[in-house]
Amino acid sequence: MPSFRLRSGMFFKSAAGIGLAALLAACATETASSGGSGSQGVTDKTVKVAGIVTETSAIGYSSAEAELGARARFERANAEGGVHGRTVEFLGAEDDAMTSATGVTAARRLVDKEDVFAVVPVSAPAFGGAEYLDQQKVPWFGWMTNPAWCGLSTAFGFNGCLTPQRGEKIPSWWAAQLGAELGGTDGSVWVQSTDTSSSKIGAEMISRSFEASGFELVGLSSSVPAAAPPQDWLPYVNKVMESDGGGPPDVVVSVMSGTKHNGGFYTALKKAGYKGAITDATSYDPKVMADPQSVAALEGVYAAPQLEPFESDIPEIVQMKADLRKAGGGDLVFSQHMATGYWAADVFLKMLEKTGKDLTRENFLRAADGFSYENPGFGRVAYPQNKTQPTGCGALVRIKGGGFELARHLECFDNVG
Amino acid sequence: MTELIGYILSGLVTGAVFALMGSGLTLTYATTGVFNFAHGAVGFVAALLFFELTVGAGWPTWIAGPVAVAVAGPLLGYLLHLTMFRRLSSAGETAQIVATIGLTIALPALGLGAIDLLNGVFGLSLPGVTEGGAARGLGPRPVETWEFAGITLDSDQLIAFTVAALTAAALWALMRRTPLGLRMRAAVDRRTLAELRGVDVDRASAQAWMLGSTLAAVAGVLIVPVVGLDSAAFLVLLFTSATAAVFGRLASIPVTFAAGLALGVLQNLVAGYGDFAQDVTGIRTAVPVLLLFAGLLVLNRSRDRVAGSIAEDPPPPDYLADLPRWRRALPWGVSPAVLLVWMFTIGDTYWIGVVSQGLLFALIFCSFVVVTGIGGMVNLAQAAFATLAALTVGLALSKGLPFGLALVLGIAAAAVAGVVVALPALRLGGKVLTLATLALALLADQVLFQIDGFGNGTLGWQMPAISLGFADTNDPRTRVVLLLALIALVGLLIRNLERSASGRAILAVRSAPSAAQVIGISATRTKITLFVMSAAIAGLGGVLFGVFNGLITTTDLPAATGFVWLAVVVVQGVRRVGGAVLGGMFMVFVPEVLHLFTDSQHVGSILFGLGGIALAMHPDGVLSQAAEQRYRRRREREQRELAQAAAAQDVAPLDLARPSKTEGPSATVREPSPATGEERAPVEALRLEGAVAGYGDTTVLRGVDLVVAPGQVVALLGANGAGKSTTCLAAAGIVPLTTGRVRLDGADVTALPAHRRAGAGVFLAPEGRGVFPGLTVEENLALRLPDAASRAEAYDRLPALADRRTIAAGALSGGEQQMLALAPALVRPPRVLIADEPSLGLAPRVVDQVFELFDELRSGGAALLVVEEKATGVLALADTVAFMRLGRVVWSGARAEVDDDLLTSAYLGALEGAR
Repeated sequence: MPSFRLRSGMFFKSAAGIGLAALLAACATETASSGGSGSQGVTDKTVKVAGIVTETSAIGYSSAEAELGARARFERANAEGGVHGRTVEFLGAEDDAMTSATGVTAARRLVDKEDVFAVVPVSAPAFGGAEYLDQQKVPWFGWMTNPAWCGLSTAFGFNGCLTPQRGEKIPSWWAAQLGAELGGTDGSVWVQSTDTSSSKIGAEMISRSFEASGFELVGLSSSVPAAAPPQDWLPYVNKVMESDGGGPPDVVVSVMSGTKHNGGFYTALKKAGYKGAITDATSYDPKVMADPQSVAALEGVYAAPQLEPFESDIPEIVQMKADLRKAGGGDLVFSQHMATGYWAADVFLKMLEKTGKDLTRENFLRAADGFSYENPGFGRVAYPQNKTQPTGCGALVRIKGGGFELARHLECFDNVG
Repeated sequence: MTELIGYILSGLVTGAVFALMGSGLTLTYATTGVFNFAHGAVGFVAALLFFELTVGAGWPTWIAGPVAVAVAGPLLGYLLHLTMFRRLSSAGETAQIVATIGLTIALPALGLGAIDLLNGVFGLSLPGVTEGGAARGLGPRPVETWEFAGITLDSDQLIAFTVAALTAAALWALMRRTPLGLRMRAAVDRRTLAELRGVDVDRASAQAWMLGSTLAAVAGVLIVPVVGLDSAAFLVLLFTSATAAVFGRLASIPVTFAAGLALGVLQNLVAGYGDFAQDVTGIRTAVPVLLLFAGLLVLNRSRDRVAGSIAEDPPPPDYLADLPRWRRALPWGVSPAVLLVWMFTIGDTYWIGVVSQGLLFALIFCSFVVVTGIGGMVNLAQAAFATLAALTVGLALSKGLPFGLALVLGIAAAAVAGVVVALPALRLGGKVLTLATLALALLADQVLFQIDGFGNGTLGWQMPAISLGFADTNDPRTRVVLLLALIALVGLLIRNLERSASGRAILAVRSAPSAAQVIGISATRTKITLFVMSAAIAGLGGVLFGVFNGLITTTDLPAATGFVWLAVVVVQGVRRVGGAVLGGMFMVFVPEVLHLFTDSQHVGSILFGLGGIALAMHPDGVLSQAAEQRYRRRREREQRELAQAAAAQDVAPLDLARPSKTEGPSATVREPSPATGEERAPVEALRLEGAVAGYGDTTVLRGVDLVVAPGQVVALLGANGAGKSTTCLAAAGIVPLTTGRVRLDGADVTALPAHRRAGAGVFLAPEGRGVFPGLTVEENLALRLPDAASRAEAYDRLPALADRRTIAAGALSGGEQQMLALAPALVRPPRVLIADEPSLGLAPRVVDQVFELFDELRSGGAALLVVEEKATGVLALADTVAFMRLGRVVWSGARAEVDDDLLTSAYLGALEGAR
């Protein structure tokens, strides 16, 4: 390779002081060779994948169990002989620590160092590697919780794009399911979110969706500090309690995430004498039940997971629970994150199947175009439209006596707006 | 009305927690001079322990609470005192700030890592701190609620308020009613004087840290059921309590406490009635931050050392100055060359990517070199500058502007932000400035970046790769080359800055702001220049961060990132670009190495944080350490030689204090220690032998020999700068001797610290007034006269003081202050009394009174050393007179031998010629 000698010679000179121009010129000779064949991580017998999840974070959020979910699904697939003769070599998941920069590093490590074919599952609210994966044409599957990922060519959310951008259709299932549970959608509703722009966007979307379903919106507040829950909830709760013509609303929808915010909010609501329905998207989490105070706070709350709950007895869920127990031990406590990992892996496998024997990233992404798949475990998904829209499926779980009770099976509704 | 009362009442509950936390902050700052940014982290660790003991180990709260607060709190405080705070109190301000910021990162990670470790290695099943694992409080579960007249309170609130009130009462009693509290307050008021009055300041510091940590622990355990085990929430708590502390001017615990209560109420009122703020996202979240900022600007003009000329943060010597230029440049020339060769031959994409990321950090870290390394100001807003510039570029690109123009706009935006941050810097110094930059950084995060149009909501802005015509930055190699070039450019810029006139101006402003002003250097312009340059560099780094990532969002570089950056770069050495480059590499390679061993993210945080702590030992960073050690050995050798030379020269001075046969023709001093009676027990109370001492590298005393006998007054005279005050301080133990000895009643006390010499009977009335201005007359006396009977005796002797016993000593007249300073000596006569210019600024009548008092003490058998610049008054009193000049006693003899001629020649230096 004579060109090597030329290059190093130039660089010695440049290091001795030739300067910027020489450096850049030399560098230019190299750029052509980047890019791969698109079959990284693929052999005749295996396809290599790994995930990125938020295992640890400063605020205590963790989606680490998504790794177990994906592993359980891949283990069953491998036991059944793999897809087109290839078994899935699952390397586990990297931790992005809920930090954008760590997420980029993790993505780069998986792609450039571990040579994975695809990244499965991704369950990280602040994942920073999206742009990099897209740029490198590496497919990734997971929980699309961030609007920035919607519409990326290589990003696949198993339940679509959860937070459509303004102007896109919005989901109606939450309001519809809650209306069905409460026996009508003619009540008044208060929507509470935190004081950040992302939370505000979410709250506006949910408000519109409840209004579209017939509820009367009596208040939308984004005043709660996001960094830490308020040390005192009284002023926030007072507003709720007077919102419906001086009285409390029929339904309170919390778009805040996590028990720290929600638990405090609900406790204060109940302390103020609130008797109506409360619903949120994040309380379907068995860890919440460890604390008697949270149990008291969440009693009667409707959690709205976008998956068929573990409490269901449909065959797909029975199968998932068996797979999870096999991978994670008999005394496993199921959590929503396990299910998201599991279904992300499931959709990936389905797409592998559709791609066929000749597996390259190019072929895979081609197969993704016009892909559609239904499964009672998570509903239905079709690309490309679910790259920019949510799938519109969800269930309701009621918290009762320190446990979860299935209130409404997963059902899919047409998006509105 | 009920609603308002409800807001106020429940606001007072949270306010009480802020108040406790703020009081701890004020207490430790005032006692030790270290502002503990990790105060919230201490609370977090205590709360974590409480959580694990209750939820994990199943202990009842009435055991777990006291263990987490009264055992773990003081223990943690003491450990921190031993490992870092003790050293930090004498370190430069930058090191102080950065070390506690490192601790803020490391402490929570240590706690969480310890749980992982216990679970992983010892097979325990302690609950992890996941979002769902809400922590409980001290109160019963489930919470009970009561309603009085339409106002609802729950058991947690009631317990929080009761505990806070009891703690406050206990704190008040401790500070006001116990000797421990008195000693701490004395140390706060005048640290050196406290030492002179027998207070072991080091012990007082340890006690303050233990007490402060306990307060943080109480606050942590009280607030944890509300905010959860979230280290970020505890950081927010720290800001709020820092706001309270700032309103207490970091000195007054009662004001801090009141401010804390008020903040709690105010926060509730804004949340309850501040609907007008609904449209500006984040503005209500930012209320404490806004108040902190306002408080800093209004209340905390830096009044430290306005007249002082000692650099707060003197630059270290250039340890490599003796090496040739090419040798100094060699590592920084060769390593990029090696890097480039590796990159274009065998380097693989992944590692090149890692290096490019490291160089990007290095570029950003260069901004710290400018503002902290050169300017000596600690800025926590760098991450905000980077984000601001990147978002501006993103916005500009989305409007269709060309990249070049967008880049200029972005950097300009960061520079403007730099000016905004610099404005408070003009008035504030040190940690107050750091707090202000932090407040601004949070404000940017919580308000500015929340503006939808600016950050494009949560989507962020796409940032296309930079094309250089023949290559673009999607290739990591292009990035490496581009970054190397930029760092070299910034390095040149920094070097030119340091060597230029403005560089000297900067150094002048940093070392001695007032002096710089006097000679016409504009501190304002200099500080602004530095901030703008630093902000621009950080902004450039931020833009490249976005470009390399393909996207910039408002949350990519949160304010807390700035903490880690600062800790890393300062540990590597913030004064040179080399340190920044090393820091950048450290930033990316440490996680890579750690990844081989562990998946735990805590280890990285612990390591980065502990790096900050290591600063307590090596304030100038890793890079200069080896060179520094060589330099130290060289210094020690020089010092030894100097001392030997001094000793050789000073064979005579030992005789000097005795009848000076070598000097005055008729010198026979009335000297109780007879020249011939060495075998007899020495009848000398204080003796300095060949004392060499000084400050830093400046030697002031060059072999002082002096003897003061019991029942004798020695007047030490000399011109300004002769070393009289230093002699006093050396005798009292404040200034340590390099060589020589101090003997007290014949016993060698050279190694004893000041407070123990005070205990052994040395009483120094220092220059100025030897009183604690912040303590009452009674308290001033109580420090030296603990029993009421002897205080009564003092009041008998000085009835003027008796009427004013509850008045702060600072409010007394000069004469009264001097009397107060000497009063303890009247009641409990010391063995040796040293008075440094006791007549300075006093009316002649008062001077007479003071000298009468000295006379009385002499009659009682005390040994007195009285220093005066003007000879007239003291000559009437003295038995022996000693003249000092240029750090030596050049003449001593009986007072009778002193006449005008001798005085004149002594002051004019003629006596030296006589030797």
